[in-house]
Amino acid sequence: MKSRFLRRELPLAAVFLLITALLLNFVSDVLRPAHTDYGSTWSAFRAEPEDSLDVIYLGSSYAYCDFNPSIVYDSSGLTGYVMAGSEQTLSITYWYLKEAFQTQSPSAVVLEATSLFFAQYQNYTQLNIDLMPFSPNKLGAIFTAAEPDLRTGLLFDLWFYHGRWPEIRPADIKRALFPIQRDYLKGFTAIDEVKEGVGVEPYVADREVSDEDYAANLSWLRKILDLCEEHGATPIITFNPTYTRCTQETYERIGQEILALDENVIFCNWSEMFEEIGLVPTAHLYDGGHLNQDGAAVFSAWLGEFLSEEVGLVPREQAADNTAHWQESAQWWKDYLAQ
Amino acid sequence: MTFLTPQFFCFFPVTALVFFLLPQRARNPWLLLASWFFYLCAKPIYLTFLLFTIAASYLTGRLLERSRRKGALASCLVILGLLLFVFKYLNFALSLVGRGLNLLGFSFSTPVLDILLPVGISFYLFQAMGYVIDVYRDKVPAERNLLLYALFLSFFPHIVSGPIDRADQLLPQFKVEHRFDWDEFRAGLFRFLWGAFKKLVLADRLAVLVNTVFSAPQDFGALQLAGAAVAFSLQLYCDFSSYSDMALGTARAMGFTLMENFRIPFFSRSIAEFWRRWHMSLSFWFRDYLYIPLGGSRKGTVRKYLNVLIVFAVSGLWHGAAMTFVVWGLLNGLYQVIGGVTAPLRGRLHSVLRLKEDGWPLRLWQIFCTFLLATAAFVFFKAGSVSTGLDMLSGMLHGPLWVFTSMGLDRWELLAALFGLVVLLAVDLRSVNHDITADYLSAPRLVRWLVLWFLLFSCVVLGSYGAGYDAQSFIYGFSF
Repeated sequence: MKSRFLRRELPLAAVFLLITALLLNFVSDVLRPAHTDYGSTWSAFRAEPEDSLDVIYLGSSYAYCDFNPSIVYDSSGLTGYVMAGSEQTLSITYWYLKEAFQTQSPSAVVLEATSLFFAQYQNYTQLNIDLMPFSPNKLGAIFTAAEPDLRTGLLFDLWFYHGRWPEIRPADIKRALFPIQRDYLKGFTAIDEVKEGVGVEPYVADREVSDEDYAANLSWLRKILDLCEEHGATPIITFNPTYTRCTQETYERIGQEILALDENVIFCNWSEMFEEIGLVPTAHLYDGGHLNQDGAAVFSAWLGEFLSEEVGLVPREQAADNTAHWQESAQWWKDYLAQ
Repeated sequence: MTFLTPQFFCFFPVTALVFFLLPQRARNPWLLLASWFFYLCAKPIYLTFLLFTIAASYLTGRLLERSRRKGALASCLVILGLLLFVFKYLNFALSLVGRGLNLLGFSFSTPVLDILLPVGISFYLFQAMGYVIDVYRDKVPAERNLLLYALFLSFFPHIVSGPIDRADQLLPQFKVEHRFDWDEFRAGLFRFLWGAFKKLVLADRLAVLVNTVFSAPQDFGALQLAGAAVAFSLQLYCDFSSYSDMALGTARAMGFTLMENFRIPFFSRSIAEFWRRWHMSLSFWFRDYLYIPLGGSRKGTVRKYLNVLIVFAVSGLWHGAAMTFVVWGLLNGLYQVIGGVTAPLRGRLHSVLRLKEDGWPLRLWQIFCTFLLATAAFVFFKAGSVSTGLDMLSGMLHGPLWVFTSMGLDRWELLAALFGLVVLLAVDLRSVNHDITADYLSAPRLVRWLVLWFLLFSCVVLGSYGAGYDAQSFIYGFSF
């Protein structure tokens, strides 16, 4: 009995479990909603050729609304990708960057730092972590950056999505069989709107964050900076042009605290630099905080020049097909924005 | 901790694996530790009552072994009964006293005591009572090994919701070596998965419809009320039998056989038969330790019917400290009394109509009637009050036929429930003459794998669990 079990049944049981795991993974892929913008766009990110990105943009919605990598490329030749997420905490950002370094070796990491003001857990942990590819980094995010009550679902995401079965269409099965290919968004989210009354007067007030959360955020930022150093990427920490801003004293204090963590950080407070960049608040802001797609285009073109001329980043050599792809992407955006 | 939680899916593989890896002498201590850990996960304070029950019944057993003193048995039963009364019935008793005094013209405001009901107390106290009575009756020898006895009461598969096992059946199993048996292991897991299917795909989905209708019966038509009553019968069956399946499955995977609790009860041809197939471990407990001591059927017909009514009233009360449960129990008792009284008349009617006793038409008719009667009684089991139960029954007879309002489940959810019911019916029909688990074990490998995938993916895709679902606790779970 024992030898029959060991020789025959045990290997077959392992095969059964393996097939079951693969089927479960497939069913998860089918039932998981498609996600191509508003951050956490891991599927399209993984379709980028290895070591082809010059810059990784990180942060929260301020990153995915403000940085348009295709426009940056158009103005500088620097390839890049926004790996941000809605209200993404720095703890999740750390695991994002660590995962991004698995396939990319960017020369610079641009981090929009509004998340320094976030609480330990914000509103979109599920979305931000769940879409990460399954890896030790995802496990790290689940166990260090997610609310404990979300962990079951993050480990087994049918927990969140299995109820979508009545909505399944052939396109969902196709998407699971053939994961999303590269797109022209590059993690950017285009918003074609200016909310009423936006851009008239900036709202200036310091964001509220507890001392404990702020200290924890600084500690995660330190880990991000260490990661950048380990991988030889220049860390650039920014506060993007916004009409929902803190006082300049606060930005200065934060700048000093960040430089105290790592003196090689390039700290950029662009919160008030609308005129210098060429942004018109009443036309280029979506709401009080984020830029719209036109604002993002202006800002990203300026950013490209900043990264090449001020920071001194040099575009890496790309394969011909990848160069063609980036040129197409830049052209697509120019055509789209010109409409 | 209970089945179908992530914690259990970690707990069980570790417990089973270590159990089989340990030498025989260390296995029972390990199972006891694991069982107590399982129980402690509910609430640490609960373990105190379990330990007290173990100590009291163990010592009584040893005492009865030396001399069969009725006083010792009675003391133990009174102490255990008192424990159950205080935790489960004190508030109910106080409310009855309050109502009685108010009716007599005294002003009495009933205090509501904040008493936590220890998980599984109704099950393990009955198991302990059964043990001491069996020792007193010389049916089983008193267990000398305290560890084994503690394990008998604490064994994690049955501690929360039964089955209420018997000492002569379970205790000897802890004394023999359980070698890993691949067939038993996968039979156990298969049964667990079938239980999970019934709970996740059926019970918790039907619960949404049932809760919606029972919470506001006045908002629904007669057919909807009748549908909700039928749905509750099916929900209760799927819910409780699923727990039993999972309990028996986990035990079997480790080589233990627990008492069967359900045997396709909705195929019964009478209420008496229904109770021989529904929650069998409790029914047989009442038969052996209450009905027979009361005289059973040995003291004449009237006394027999009185005994039946007493047993079912107590059984109702066992299920919950409320008048609704007493009414439910008494209704079941009354059905049996009426069934007994009218049996000759019905027999003659069958002859006149030339209906063969074993013919399909009569069988189906009897099964249908039994289901209706059981369902009508279950309305009180579910209803929050006797008046709500009466409103439900009255609404089925007098209200509008249909009221266009949501019953809590959309078209797709109803389809999923229907799918589950078709599978349940197919399995139950097959179970009439076959052992489903044996069928599974003897099937070709590919068929076995397909069956497992069918059940597993039905559970993970169609199951009521996770975000967006109101996963229900087991009905016979933490409030018993």
